[in-house]
Amino acid sequence: MSEPILKVKSLSKSITAHGNTLSILSDISLQVCKAETVAIIGTSGAGKSTLMTLLAGLDVPTSGEIELLGQPLSQLDDEARAQLRGESIGFVFQSFLLIPSLNAIENVTLPTVLRGEGEDQVKAKALLASVGLAGRELHLPTQLSGGEQQRVALARAFMSEPKILFADEPTGNLDKKTAKNIIELLFAMNRDNGTTLILVTHDEQLAARCSRILRIDDGKLVEEIITAKASSVL
Amino acid sequence: MNAISSSKKSTLNSNLLLRWSWREIYSAQLWPVVAALVLIVACVVALSALAMRVEKVITAEGRSMLAADVVQTSSYPINPLIIDKADQLALQQSAQVSFQTMGFSDTSMHLISVKAVDSFYPLRGELRLKTKQETLSQHVLPGELWVAKRVLGLLDVEVGQTLAVGDAELVISGIIEADPELVFNPFNSIPAVFIHESDIEKTGALQIGSRVEYKRFFNGADNKLDDLQNSVELQPGEKWLSEKNQGNSGGFINKAKQYLSLTILMVIAMASLTLVLTCSHYASGRAQTIAMLKSLGASRVWLKRWLMIQVAILLAIGLVVGSLLGIVIEALLRLPLTDVLPKELPSYGFLPFLMGASVAILVAIPALGIPLKKLLDTPAINVLQQTKSKTKAAWWLILFPLSAFIYYYFDASMVWLVLVGLIVLFTLLALVSYACILLVSRFKWGPAMSLAISRLKRSPKQSLMQLAALSGSLMLIAVIWLLRSDLVGDWQKAVPENAPNVFAVNINPTELPGYLTHFDQRKIERSEAFPVIRGRLSHINGTDVYRAEQYKANPANILKREVNFTWLETLPSYNQVLDGQWGQSQGVSVEQKVARQLGLTIGDKLTFTVNSLQVTAAVNSIRDVHWQSMKPNFIFIFTPDVLQNLPATWMLSARVSEQDNDLLNQLSRDFPTISLIDFRVLGNKLQSMLAQVSLSLTVLASIAVLSGILLMFTLLRLSLKQRQSEVMLYRTLGATKKRISQTLWAEYGLLAIIAGFVATVGAELLVYSLMQWGFKLTPSLHVEMWLVLPIIALLIVLGSLRSLFKQLLTPL
Repeated sequence: MSEPILKVKSLSKSITAHGNTLSILSDISLQVCKAETVAIIGTSGAGKSTLMTLLAGLDVPTSGEIELLGQPLSQLDDEARAQLRGESIGFVFQSFLLIPSLNAIENVTLPTVLRGEGEDQVKAKALLASVGLAGRELHLPTQLSGGEQQRVALARAFMSEPKILFADEPTGNLDKKTAKNIIELLFAMNRDNGTTLILVTHDEQLAARCSRILRIDDGKLVEEIITAKASSVL
Repeated sequence: MNAISSSKKSTLNSNLLLRWSWREIYSAQLWPVVAALVLIVACVVALSALAMRVEKVITAEGRSMLAADVVQTSSYPINPLIIDKADQLALQQSAQVSFQTMGFSDTSMHLISVKAVDSFYPLRGELRLKTKQETLSQHVLPGELWVAKRVLGLLDVEVGQTLAVGDAELVISGIIEADPELVFNPFNSIPAVFIHESDIEKTGALQIGSRVEYKRFFNGADNKLDDLQNSVELQPGEKWLSEKNQGNSGGFINKAKQYLSLTILMVIAMASLTLVLTCSHYASGRAQTIAMLKSLGASRVWLKRWLMIQVAILLAIGLVVGSLLGIVIEALLRLPLTDVLPKELPSYGFLPFLMGASVAILVAIPALGIPLKKLLDTPAINVLQQTKSKTKAAWWLILFPLSAFIYYYFDASMVWLVLVGLIVLFTLLALVSYACILLVSRFKWGPAMSLAISRLKRSPKQSLMQLAALSGSLMLIAVIWLLRSDLVGDWQKAVPENAPNVFAVNINPTELPGYLTHFDQRKIERSEAFPVIRGRLSHINGTDVYRAEQYKANPANILKREVNFTWLETLPSYNQVLDGQWGQSQGVSVEQKVARQLGLTIGDKLTFTVNSLQVTAAVNSIRDVHWQSMKPNFIFIFTPDVLQNLPATWMLSARVSEQDNDLLNQLSRDFPTISLIDFRVLGNKLQSMLAQVSLSLTVLASIAVLSGILLMFTLLRLSLKQRQSEVMLYRTLGATKKRISQTLWAEYGLLAIIAGFVATVGAELLVYSLMQWGFKLTPSLHVEMWLVLPIIALLIVLGSLRSLFKQLLTPL
């Protein structure tokens, strides 16, 4: 088994509201290896999205340690975490989150622009072609369907050649057929790029396509299932 | 190679940033911000440019009435130090000595007022001297004698004949058509003549003890004139005159200027509020984008740059378009002033543009800075979960415009009055409005209204903000409009169109009935005849005003000279009694300023010396007198019993037209001892100036009202846009279009009526304070506004939301 690129130890997150402390996640430890596909599942409010925000360095835990790509996140400030995300992490969101005033190719080049590099139009064009949107480069998000917008979001996620891709309910806003297509594409691109995938979903069927499933319930990691797909990465 | 590729990358990067920023603005999210910025710049540019031009014109006007930029007057020959200093400063100078002496013709004699001037007089304004051959001259030369037209009638002489001015025998060169120093004083019945200063000695009129006034006129750059005035300490009897402390039109022009700066301030306040609203709306709409960019790895520096480019584009558009619009508005504002302003206008230079840009930038620092800083602080986690930003709002940014404001308006009490009033009122307005909603909610209403009320009560903070902004801007609009009406009304009351323009004084009681008949036969509008008796105030409650320390230390003007008294059965209708009540006997009514100077109150016993007799009367009332009204007015008006047995002459005023010239000539001939003084030129000039200034105030007020409506329009549309998802939810849950439409109308209608009502109360309070303490005029209530303002509020709501309501409901 290859070297873990994500190590989590005794992770807890709680929030205080109106004088009461509410525990969202407690004592979670896990490891994710390179090129692994991991699904985090659980019911609504179980804490899976919170876990993802902590793993991706979007938020800080109340206690516990996260080491992402060899870097302890607790020792990085906001800016350093942003830099780490910019260089090594990709995201796919449920609501696509494309910039409405930028066209498809500009949305795809965004990660490299944010890194201070130029717009690599050739690569962006190739990525758009690989998600089946050749010829639609100049279309604005409003001129694209939901499925097409998520394809653009996928192309954007792979633009910076991330080491880890976080996907938060990537098919949550799509119809079944479109969702299926998007998932095929996501896994294919993930495989082709050798990316580690962490997928948050409540869809058990979708989770089953990953090599490992982590079930969260009431803020705790209650089950870890190694699926048949695991052999391909082990 | 690396360097080249990195510079290429950075250019590409900037290109996308620029493109993106432009599209953010272009995609309509930021147009309201641009509109608010344009409005601020345009208003400041237009109004300050106009103010500068009008100020220059007013200064020139005032100076032309002084016959110079600055005048030194003295009871003694002008201090040579002043003349030397003026020589050093290379100022233009001119001299005048004025005194009274007797004028003798072959057949009669009369007291005349002589102005002996040098050949440079006047340095400003117009002296028009006309010979018999109708040739005009503008300066007095040695040996010349120019007389007021009345002199010819009074002394029975003609142009070309000899007249003795004191001991000097001079040939009358012609008549005085225009005298720059002409002022309104109907009691100054001594006619004027001009001679050259080199002829003074020949008159033999200047003896030790004669009453002489020396004037020295100076023209030059303002800083040099200031230097001159600061160079010498004034001796008793010496005084500097400038357009700032002189001029009979000064009062209303100053008020117009105050109004101008107040309006600029209110327009800036309203435009700033629009800027704050639109910008915070933009910021709240962009929070998720920022969070997403942060999740994709955007650094703070990058995001700052991204926002700064947008701000720079916004400011650039705002400044350029605003400045251009400002030029257009200034020209529009100037249209009604065409006749008042000279043909060749002084240039306003760069200053208005600089001011427009500075004000816009200073206002933009907090208006854009606070929401954008908050936007920048949006945590990355917001991309997935809504959390509140933990950083505090950068309220300190308000210090930028605030300190500039304090610096600029440090000693402008009126501005502070307005500012403090506005802050207190805005807070009160919001609270009172909310209390109104709570009150309304206690009654039983239909479902639409109940839903609307519960909606307003559910989000008190938002409702409060909306109510404060809506009633606040309505209030400002009302204040601007009411102030304009009150000011213009006050001026029109002061100088009505039918104001008298000729005065007859020194009418012998036996001549009075015959004299009045002449006017009445021609149906000429005239005042009643007033008896006039000259005298002095000598004692207040038994205290000798010439000996008591309290009056000696700070002698009021009134104590230095004889004044004209009158006695009447009732007070003139155009004098408003401020305190006390007019009585039947042993009473005197006093003009309010004099009463204040002397500390007089109702019941004080005043003793007067009249023809070496002493009369006593008790103060029965204190009156407000408009001295500029050109109507007969008196400081002291007595009840008949006090003075009617003393010998008096009579006076009256009348409104004559050009067709009555023959009557005036006939009256001068038939009643040579009565002085008939013609103020038609002065009156017309004052009236036309007033009409034009009033008109441009109306234009100005209209622009301010328009900007207020723009603010409300933006506010309402933004608030309704935020409701889009709520409306969609109602529709999804099965609410009918009719029900939603009724609820929205009920909510915004209620909001409008309450805001309109509260704004009315606020506006009355603010206008009352401004009239009372700011403009120092008599405040009044505006009953019609109590009905009009809520209706206007409803109409504005209707106008701004109608199309949006339809748009909100159509796609469903």
